[in-house]
Amino acid sequence: MNARDASARVAEDFGSGGGPVARQAHVSPVPPASAGGAAPTIEVKGLTKTYKSKREGSVLALDDISFTVRDGEFVCIVGPSGCGKSTLLKILAGIVSHSVGTVAVRGKPPRDAANRLGLVFQAPVLLPWRTVLQNTLLPAQVLGLDRGAATARAHELLRMVGLEQFAGSYPGELSGGMQQRCSITRALLHDPSILLMDEPFGALDAMTRDTMNLELQRIWRESGKTIFLITHSIPEAVFLADRVLVMSPRPGKIVEEISVDLPRPRDLDTMSDPVFADTVRHIRGLFGIGAKDRPHVD
Amino acid sequence: MSIETDASAEPHEARAFSIGRLIDRHLGILSFIVLVLALEGGLTYFAVPDYVLPRPSQIFMSLVRGFAPPFLSPSQYYINIATTLTEALASFVLGSAFGILAGTLVVEFKGVRRLALPYVIGLQSVPKVALAPLFVVWFGFGIESKILLGVLLTFFPLLINTAAGLSSVERDRIELMSSLKAKRWTTFRLVKFPSALPYIFAGLEMAAVYSILGAVVGEFVGGNSGLGVLILSRNAALDIAGSLAALVILAVMGIALQRSVAFARSRMLFWAPVHDTLDSDQ
Repeated sequence: MNARDASARVAEDFGSGGGPVARQAHVSPVPPASAGGAAPTIEVKGLTKTYKSKREGSVLALDDISFTVRDGEFVCIVGPSGCGKSTLLKILAGIVSHSVGTVAVRGKPPRDAANRLGLVFQAPVLLPWRTVLQNTLLPAQVLGLDRGAATARAHELLRMVGLEQFAGSYPGELSGGMQQRCSITRALLHDPSILLMDEPFGALDAMTRDTMNLELQRIWRESGKTIFLITHSIPEAVFLADRVLVMSPRPGKIVEEISVDLPRPRDLDTMSDPVFADTVRHIRGLFGIGAKDRPHVD
Repeated sequence: MSIETDASAEPHEARAFSIGRLIDRHLGILSFIVLVLALEGGLTYFAVPDYVLPRPSQIFMSLVRGFAPPFLSPSQYYINIATTLTEALASFVLGSAFGILAGTLVVEFKGVRRLALPYVIGLQSVPKVALAPLFVVWFGFGIESKILLGVLLTFFPLLINTAAGLSSVERDRIELMSSLKAKRWTTFRLVKFPSALPYIFAGLEMAAVYSILGAVVGEFVGGNSGLGVLILSRNAALDIAGSLAALVILAVMGIALQRSVAFARSRMLFWAPVHDTLDSDQ
């Protein structure tokens, strides 16, 4: 344990690709980043995360994870509950530190002050004492942006997600879907180049969820942002992503990377495309759905 | 009484005027009137002596006399109310401010917590009113000793509630701020402190009551002026009606202070669910 900690510290201090030798995913139909044209905006090598638990002692949450996300790419992670995908996202956001390996976001450590990413949680996490507009403006206040320009942008974003007439409402007066849309405008306000989303539509009903997925695709296409989205819904991942990373149950490993070759913009008809169905079936197969003792995935 | 409410809610009870509804709405006042009348009649009928339990009308007359001129006489209410109110308000403001500050420091700084918590826990288990005689010795018969006793009483609920509030901020809110690489003070100012306000206000409502308690106990132990002093002197003269009249004023003062805090809370915490069941009627 101590040796492992020490090596983690060394790896972090020197930013080397330390730790155990990075193991590649079994199947990688995706060409390496350099061949893809755009530079990697997120680069993870040999990432391992252990944490201490009172009951179970030292727990391995993420085991030797390596992947890259290119600039402007839409990447989804699917995995069963408790596989550590949220932990992975928190590491990328600079909220949680990792144990072993290297993580670079735009060439810098995730905790670097320059990496002010947009973050969307499963719950909207709006501040109930602030109006929709004030919630959207939170990053401007934190980062000390120009108030006038930020307010203009906030109104523009609220118009984009159809919340403009609710700018003066408080979160308690909005439905769950509207609150989640407000949390997206907040994540976009400071125009971050990377948007991290942790099951952003998990708590919404199926119809709202479809609408939000279409809206998210539109926002992504219009803004050219890099989006890294976690979900436990395989169809949602296939529908949204350029590339799907499939994670195993705890300890989380990346089992496979799958590029989704479906034309854009995708709409609800995409879901009846045979390629869509094949990809979904393939990922389900990876989780052993249909076999006994399958992990929980919907 | 609940049966009457149900009856008035029936659709066939469409009349604008309903005795059941009227009684229900003014139940508090009506029961008070009935109680006062019953006491008045009962005490007169059984000829209970004034120095044991005076009739409500005698308490009322004592109140009227107390508010009559000469206004600035120490045996009248005005100066005494001013003294007790000053003591209570000063200890409320100072004790709450120190309590909120200390609660914040204890949560935000591990060193402060390790250093101060044993003392806090130790002091908290001391019945603080027992310190009143010492405070009079140390700080004299003036209002200072009463204010300091009140500060000691109001400090702890605020310290504990602020610490509890700041420790129970939703983790997602903190993580949101840390994803923006917010400075610690910014996170405190924009997220943690406002999130803790419902707890802090619960502490302030307790402090409102404790601040008056501190003032009165301090005056009992030794003082020149105040409603506590007045109660002692009326008691010494076996003027029980006068004593009870001063008690009525103290009750009104307590209610007013507590209501002011509740009003401020309803203005500032419009977004928070109300936990106080006593308020759910209003």
